[in-house]
Amino acid sequence: MKKTVLILLTLVMMVSLLTPAAFAADKTFIMGIDPEYPPFSYLGDDGEYTGFDVEVCKAVCDSLGWKMEIFGVNWDEKLVQLDSMECDCVWSGMTILDSMKEAGYVISAPYYDNTQVLVVKADSGFKSSKDLAGKIVAVQLGTSGESLLNGDLADMAATFGNVLTCDSFLKCFTELQGGAVDAVFVDMPVAASYVAKHDGIAIIDENLGAEQYGIAFRSGDAELCKTVDDAVQALVKDGTYAKIAEKEEYADIVNNLLFLNSEAK
Amino acid sequence: MSLTTMIIKMSEGLTRTCAIFFLTLIFSLPLGMVVALLRMSKVKIVSAVTRFIITVLRGTPLMLQLLAVTYGPYYLFGATVARNKLIPVVIAFSINYAAYFAEIYRGGIESIPIGQYEAAEVLGYTKVQTFMRIILPQVIKRIMPSVTNEVVTLVKDTSMAFTVSYQEMFTIGKQIANSQTSFTPFLVAGVFYYIFNVIVDYVMGRIEKRLDYYK
Repeated sequence: MKKTVLILLTLVMMVSLLTPAAFAADKTFIMGIDPEYPPFSYLGDDGEYTGFDVEVCKAVCDSLGWKMEIFGVNWDEKLVQLDSMECDCVWSGMTILDSMKEAGYVISAPYYDNTQVLVVKADSGFKSSKDLAGKIVAVQLGTSGESLLNGDLADMAATFGNVLTCDSFLKCFTELQGGAVDAVFVDMPVAASYVAKHDGIAIIDENLGAEQYGIAFRSGDAELCKTVDDAVQALVKDGTYAKIAEKEEYADIVNNLLFLNSEAK
Repeated sequence: MSLTTMIIKMSEGLTRTCAIFFLTLIFSLPLGMVVALLRMSKVKIVSAVTRFIITVLRGTPLMLQLLAVTYGPYYLFGATVARNKLIPVVIAFSINYAAYFAEIYRGGIESIPIGQYEAAEVLGYTKVQTFMRIILPQVIKRIMPSVTNEVVTLVKDTSMAFTVSYQEMFTIGKQIANSQTSFTPFLVAGVFYYIFNVIVDYVMGRIEKRLDYYK
């Protein structure tokens, strides 16, 4: 009797080793991030990648038993790098654009409500976007802010004297503080974290252009997208997600996290 | 982030920067000679094709060539993209620099008076002997300053590898700068590049001295 049980158990173990589930457990999930986008994804003080998106992805991979790797994408080429299998997703405060969906990319459920704001010098006296008529505004190349100024907000952009594109937001802010530009058009969380660290600049209290963040997967990866979506929801339910969001470094973004705030309602 | 962490992190990138630098030199210096000889070929079609390739390599940005070498095979043939980015980066750099070196070599070779070939022929040297024993030693000596120029430029050009997410020193510096909203990493990068080039300058100077054999 014991022997039969033993043989059966061995068989069960062998079969379970051969099933796809066992293979999936060994899966390595490569997360594509923009390593220059605090607080969602950035190089932490210890020189390791961290950020809200990175921590959530770690928790997702832990819960699914996946190994996780991080690939720092070149943001201008992120979809090329996703297509060419260098990473399995782009998950890094990425704005969901219709053009991505049209191009066939699978996009996760939106998780963050983003707004764009204008940052100006505190003593400049600018109170709204209307005050900036004829002034110079800086925006980061390849960000949704830039596409908004060329699209939905083109009317507003037309009132500006000039729009200057910089290749990083740090340069945008340095141009502002150095007096070369009059305002920076940038994502709210980036603006908030920068203004908190530097004196003499302020955010204009006017929300321009609402958009949402999501995770992008390759066109064939609808199943992977669903797995990740479900895993994130499980983390929301068991409170892990809220625990990550409560951290001090994410104070600027916690109010706009869709999963947490829909739960509160 | 403390300055020490920053320097350690960027030093990790510096080893990758060195890898691009040395591998590119190892491949492009000889490749340049092959290209130069093809460019000077008496067969019209060979020299015309080589000339065209050189104009493409010198006439388009290195950044574009990096993208083409890294992602081109994927978009054209569906080939997988190399996980180790060093491979496409070194290929792109080597091809690009070979084109520049080829023109430097050509300039050097063509600067040798035709009389020397004639004299060598009279003395019974074969064509290969003439080139290897008489022409080449003079050419190498003459082109050294121009080669040093290119080598120094190469040190700084390695930063271009960020285009394809190769984590060399400048890429890491940029990441730290934007993550920590500080310009210090750029200063550190500047110092690193400067020290690197001072060393390169010293080594190349020593080589030039060694080549002072006709004085």
